[in-house]
Amino acid sequence: MQDKPLVEVKKLQKNYGDTEVLKEIDGTVMPGQVICVIGPSGSGKSTFLRCLNMLETPTAGQVLFEGKDTQKFSEEELTTLRERMGMVFQSFNLFPNLTVLDNLKLAPIRVKKMSDKDAEEKAMGLLKRVGLEEKANVYPNSLSGGQAQRVAIARALAMDPEMLLFDEPTSALDPEMVGEVLAVMKELAEDGMTMVVVTHEMGFAREVANEVWFMADGYILEKNKPNEMFEHPQNPRTKDFISKIINS
Amino acid sequence: MKVKGRNVLLTIMTLCLSLLFLFTVQPAHHTAYAADDSLQKIKDRGSIIMATSPDYPPYEFQVSKNGKSQVVGMDVDIMRQVAKDLGVKLVIKSMSYDSVLVAVETGKADVAMSGINPTAKRRQSVDFSKIYYNGGQSFLINKTDVGKYKNKAALAHKKIGAQTGTLQYNLAKTKIPGATVKGMDKNTDLVLALKTHKIDALGIETPSAEAYVKNDHDLAMIKSGYKLNKNETGSAMAFKKGSGTLAAAVNKSIDKIKAKHLTTQYLANAGKYMKVNTNNTSMVHYWTYFAKGIEYTLLISAISVIFGVLLGTILALMRFSKSKVLKAISVAYVEFVRGTPLMVQVMFVYFGVGIIVNLPALLSGIIAVSLNSGAYVEEIIRGGINSVDKGQTEASASLGLAKGDTMRFIILPQALKNIWPALGNEFVSLVKESSIVSIIGVTDLIYQLNIVRADTYRGVMPVFVAMCIYFVMTFILTRILNYFEGRMKHAR
Repeated sequence: MQDKPLVEVKKLQKNYGDTEVLKEIDGTVMPGQVICVIGPSGSGKSTFLRCLNMLETPTAGQVLFEGKDTQKFSEEELTTLRERMGMVFQSFNLFPNLTVLDNLKLAPIRVKKMSDKDAEEKAMGLLKRVGLEEKANVYPNSLSGGQAQRVAIARALAMDPEMLLFDEPTSALDPEMVGEVLAVMKELAEDGMTMVVVTHEMGFAREVANEVWFMADGYILEKNKPNEMFEHPQNPRTKDFISKIINS
Repeated sequence: MKVKGRNVLLTIMTLCLSLLFLFTVQPAHHTAYAADDSLQKIKDRGSIIMATSPDYPPYEFQVSKNGKSQVVGMDVDIMRQVAKDLGVKLVIKSMSYDSVLVAVETGKADVAMSGINPTAKRRQSVDFSKIYYNGGQSFLINKTDVGKYKNKAALAHKKIGAQTGTLQYNLAKTKIPGATVKGMDKNTDLVLALKTHKIDALGIETPSAEAYVKNDHDLAMIKSGYKLNKNETGSAMAFKKGSGTLAAAVNKSIDKIKAKHLTTQYLANAGKYMKVNTNNTSMVHYWTYFAKGIEYTLLISAISVIFGVLLGTILALMRFSKSKVLKAISVAYVEFVRGTPLMVQVMFVYFGVGIIVNLPALLSGIIAVSLNSGAYVEEIIRGGINSVDKGQTEASASLGLAKGDTMRFIILPQALKNIWPALGNEFVSLVKESSIVSIIGVTDLIYQLNIVRADTYRGVMPVFVAMCIYFVMTFILTRILNYFEGRMKHAR
């Protein structure tokens, strides 16, 4: 299993009208790998991530999931893809009309056809795991940013995904809350979850990632082990970006 | 892509219009070739349906008899005799005066009888019976003006009121030099205008004028002095074109009634009712009328709100569907309904659709108001759906939830909260606008209010009472809506 890639991206291109956001992206995600995608804003990191679970449809090129072209997926296969590939958003996107518990239960019940009791058990277990058991019956708007993002992670986990996509999960948080979210993510990585994380948290990337991808202008300009990337960046753009981040 | 979408829209619009065109052309064909079975149809059915506007004493008006509201008057007595001669039962359908001729043209009624003058223009669209009564023309004036307006000549360059679409209206326009003619739908309104000096005189048939003078001591009457062709000025019954057999049978009865001078007796009967009627003109005495009006107004509003919301939701979902055709149908529907007055829609459903399926007035009213409300609700819901953050749809999709589930569990509940005030506004205006169904004779609050006005010869008080009732109804509704809004806030 370990030698078969989970996701392969081949010559991926994405345009919005005349704007080319992704020009040519290639990459491979192996099972159990944690990949952090870094780069200046506007470089197409989020768009790239959203092409992986087909929230955005690529303009050209391919995204292969277990060797199958995601663009040729039927509705059913697409649902399965999204079941297996969870996503956590920058702005949490919890459902404000549902309690925390119901946020976690909805998809398992509707998509996995789980019984209400099983879904509740699972949800409570996950809330415990992210340390928010006592918030089960409140509505999302009474949560702090850090709590909301931990709930969002638990919600994604409720579908038992094999892989998680994180779209700048800590960028909307107050600084004092970043730690609690990163801690949960780190735990997930240690448990062997496959993760693609778009982030500005260089410390996290350095500590947790197996590989760091540097993106700019619609290309992945450099892929490397974290230590190599941060200490001996090759591409001049990478050098420039990393020196700015470290000196700021 | 955009151009293609517009093409679909255009096609559907064109289709709708051509359907409408078919609608308007078809009945003409019908009458031209259909054999005259008008009399046989009535005999087969065992009843004759009479369309009338019961706000015109002593011809026809509504009274409460043993607690039940009933249409009485000379016309009703005459038609009862006609029905007896034909060996069938009499069924009376009440509606606004504007609608009675349309009712026979579209087959909603067999005969229209409402003190109608058979003018040449009207003869083009309906058949008439012989004249059954010739009351003559008069003017009502204020008693204080008796010295001022002694005859028709004194009314030159004055303001004359008359019921719109009546002979009196045309006569005032053509035969009184320099007069300004003010038309209104109801004689009750015109009398009020006279008493408040918005008009100087009111052109009206002599028997009606006599009834008003008898019941209101501030009024007086003068004879019109018009020189007129008797065939146009008397009252006759109207039938659908090509109803020769029915007209012949009815004419026989009319001859009989005339020979026996029965109309004198009928008029006396009507007078008796009017006396009973004016004994107690307090609004409390008429509470059953208002209660019935409230019942129907609430009934129509409640059902229309439910179906309006259902239809609006479906239209909104169609608007967001991938199918260009569904989208175009929704857009075309909303544009068309919003672009036409509710009143026209009510009349179209009752009379127009009535050519194909015979819908009762109440049902027609509910259908028209629901269809109308659906278009507005669609716009509100569409706005609500757009107001929900795009991230919600993405989060839902990222969990693998189907589009339908996303709408049902995530988008619509949030949209509902956002649009609640606007939706509440729509409900409140629906209660008020449902009043338009009174024109096809649905006994809602407005209709009942006009009955009470015609009955009591009091112009303002019933209006005031209805105003208060409407306010109380909408106020309570607003409280209820606010309560639910508060609960939704609490929940989130």
